[in-house]
Amino acid sequence: MSAPRPSGVLMDLAEKAVRFGLACGADEIEVGAGDDVEFGVDVRMGEIENLVEAGTRSMGIRVIKDRRTAFAGTSDLSPDTVERLIRGAVRRAELANPDPCAGLPETSAAAVDPAALDLYDPEIVALDPQTKIARARETERIALSDSRIVNSHGASYDTHEGHAVLANSRGFLGEYRKTYAGLNVSLQAGETDDLVEDFWFSSKTHLAELASPEEVARKAVARTVRLLKPRKIETQRVPVIFDPMMTSSLLGFLFGCLAGTAVYQKATFLAGRLGERIGRETINVIDDGLLPRGLGSSPFDSEGVPTRRTVVVENGVLKTFLCNTYAGRKIGLPTTGNADGGGVGPGNFYLRPGPHTPEEIIRSTPKGLYLVRTLGHGLNPVSGDISRGAFGLWIENGEPVFPVSEITISGNLGEILNGIEMIGSDLEFDGSVCGPTIKVAEMQIAGRS
Amino acid sequence: MSIFEDRFSLGPADFQAVLGAALSRGGDFAELYFEYRAHSSILMEEDILKETAESVGLGVGVRVWSGEQTGYGYTNDLSPERMIKAARSAAAVALTGSAIPPPAVFIPGRPLFGLYGSIDPASEADLGRKIGLVREAYDACRTFAPEIVKVKAGWGDLVQHVLIVNSEGLLVSDIRPMVKLTCVAIAEKGTVREYGFSGGGGRAGLEAFAAGRTPAGIGREAAEEAVRLLEADDAPAGEMPVVLAAGHAGVLIHEAVGHLLEADFHRKKTSIFWNKMGEKVGSDLVTIYDDPTIPASRGSYAVDDEGTVPRKILLIEKGIVSGLLTDRLSARIMGRALTGHGRRQDYSEIPIPRMANTYIAAGPHDPAEIIASVKKGFYAERFTGGQVEDSGKFTFSVSAGRLIEKGRLTRPVKQATLIGTNVDILNRVCMAGTDLEFGLQTGTCGKEGQEVPVNDGCPTLKIGAMTVGGRG
Repeated sequence: MSAPRPSGVLMDLAEKAVRFGLACGADEIEVGAGDDVEFGVDVRMGEIENLVEAGTRSMGIRVIKDRRTAFAGTSDLSPDTVERLIRGAVRRAELANPDPCAGLPETSAAAVDPAALDLYDPEIVALDPQTKIARARETERIALSDSRIVNSHGASYDTHEGHAVLANSRGFLGEYRKTYAGLNVSLQAGETDDLVEDFWFSSKTHLAELASPEEVARKAVARTVRLLKPRKIETQRVPVIFDPMMTSSLLGFLFGCLAGTAVYQKATFLAGRLGERIGRETINVIDDGLLPRGLGSSPFDSEGVPTRRTVVVENGVLKTFLCNTYAGRKIGLPTTGNADGGGVGPGNFYLRPGPHTPEEIIRSTPKGLYLVRTLGHGLNPVSGDISRGAFGLWIENGEPVFPVSEITISGNLGEILNGIEMIGSDLEFDGSVCGPTIKVAEMQIAGRS
Repeated sequence: MSIFEDRFSLGPADFQAVLGAALSRGGDFAELYFEYRAHSSILMEEDILKETAESVGLGVGVRVWSGEQTGYGYTNDLSPERMIKAARSAAAVALTGSAIPPPAVFIPGRPLFGLYGSIDPASEADLGRKIGLVREAYDACRTFAPEIVKVKAGWGDLVQHVLIVNSEGLLVSDIRPMVKLTCVAIAEKGTVREYGFSGGGGRAGLEAFAAGRTPAGIGREAAEEAVRLLEADDAPAGEMPVVLAAGHAGVLIHEAVGHLLEADFHRKKTSIFWNKMGEKVGSDLVTIYDDPTIPASRGSYAVDDEGTVPRKILLIEKGIVSGLLTDRLSARIMGRALTGHGRRQDYSEIPIPRMANTYIAAGPHDPAEIIASVKKGFYAERFTGGQVEDSGKFTFSVSAGRLIEKGRLTRPVKQATLIGTNVDILNRVCMAGTDLEFGLQTGTCGKEGQEVPVNDGCPTLKIGAMTVGGRG
């Protein structure tokens, strides 16, 4: 297949909407439009359960008049609806209060070449449905061939092709295309009253990098059966090792606490800590929107600001917050090209890997918890407090000895950043927020009395 | 006449054409789900009315069954060509059969009447009036105490038009309103910073805020929680008696019981309850219902997203598993009755069994007597949500609570996760209050990536022992 075709239709729609907004009296207007093509198949117990195929188009609009802002969005792209929404937004803007920080970003001379990011894989677009169905089936079949696996929530193969266009009244006009393929399987093991479950997945922008059905199935089986016959442990304070998925989840929480939008609202414990040491010297946190083939990469953000690589935490010191134009103006920092809808979103946000293999980290632990899964929502960005249900493996003398469940772990993100004793070398980019294995000196576990 | 027939000029001939394309390769059933939603929102923060937004969602989802397999296609372009293309995508699941003709006539369905309290519809109200409600909540929160340093108040209203047409000849439409007002407060004292949340709303119009839960009351509640948490200690860690406050704690029932009685998990035998129909799994005090027909409640609907008129379902009767929540697919495969719990996030999603308004019935105990019965324990008052897995392990997160010492509520404590296995916890419910209350009318439940509005309720409940995961 050849290079992606330029699609003038979407660009025309966006540019036309910008012109219409200015004609209606907007001082500034920004219009994002997207075309999305989705395919998904869920296979369960060998049979297709769901087969989904669809294409959709949508548009998002921001209007500024006298430093007052109004938004609109629609999946009905008929000219009548689009024009009605734009006229309405210009009128509604007058109801808001003037805000000196409101407005579109300054025009930037710099631009990122979408082709250099390599986000579009024609092989994903060309892949036929039968192959996708076969790969989902194969993944589940391999997993179920292990006698310890008693049931399956199913395996899925999903592909997505997106085309994003952005135009604004300051003359920005950009577009890029991005593909995605994902394979996952979710399993159960154990007796009816003593079930354990876990899953594994692979997701990439390029087909060649996607894990094979074998790899996904074997990892899902291993992750599930290691939880069989769990015990509940006593309430105590011990070191906790986060597996990469758990580190990624912790980093997702950290991202929210580093968002400029949370800083001006004082909705993060890190507000006011710029330039301070917030973690150990070994901690380096980076947001890189330019990672080639990255799931979180894009040439520009949702305001048309070129994306970039930002070192957020360097040797434990908080260097900047991640901002869109508005949050940047509020807190006196430049935008970092992280605008995402009305808020702030990650590029590829990760903790720089360290020197240790995960095995070394486990071996170094005389007694502790190897955390593999959490349950629940106990994250408080204002205080940094964490409290969640936990599943994991109990470590004694550097070896996993039995699985544990029905416990909770709790701590505080600020204390955790200062308590990370070891960082693993096993960073993998399988999402837009990723981290390697880490070991935290001590956290509170609640279990039996 | 629905908006789809009226504004988009769709009629029986269009429905027949699209259903015909959906069944062009055979299949057992085909269905069209048309949706049009108009959403409007307002945000106030930093003492200014920051922005307003308006959005329109339009589309149709086409579903085809072939045996137990589902094919699905959707589009947001209601032109005949695009709808036929979506129908052909859905038809791909049926590989063998020959074409089945669409129904010759459609019989109108009869949704429940008078369920939505839209005396004063938000979609037609002047934006200035809604801004007034947001300001009222904001100001009440901001001026509650000097410790309140930041406030964020948000408004959202939605009107969702749906039209369901299927190969059995059903044609039914519904217009569902929703309003929601939320307030977040940040309080600061020295280096300590905490937040509080409150909100209200429901499937109603502006009258939802006229009495009872007023905007000012919502603002004050958020502020009060934030200020109280400034003085709060860390929650305890370990196993202890837990008393759940009436109302908000219904989320525990939603997680611990509701999800595991959604029929898809039974059909697939992944729920710990799948083989426990008619068995006793909890104490006599545990009687649980799901009721989509509570007037003006956030989880209610006059007809579900598959066109079924919903019913109140008894899920657990005095500790015995008694009912399941079904959608069309699970009802057909399992040979069970339709309960009207087939719901979907929007036209791009396949419906699955979901809860609506789930609650545990009131019991015989005076709430004061329940507190007085605990020597040393944890009183869980405000919640931020929960999660369950099919094995019955569940958590729910407490944002604010108090210690119970010698039968009295004492020091405020913050942030704890409660964890348990549902059967253990249901058996340990040892007191249930007379004071059944429902939650804030702001809840959303996520399952398989689909979010739907729900509400929960419960009376004051005592659980003999449960693991409390505070920082100690």
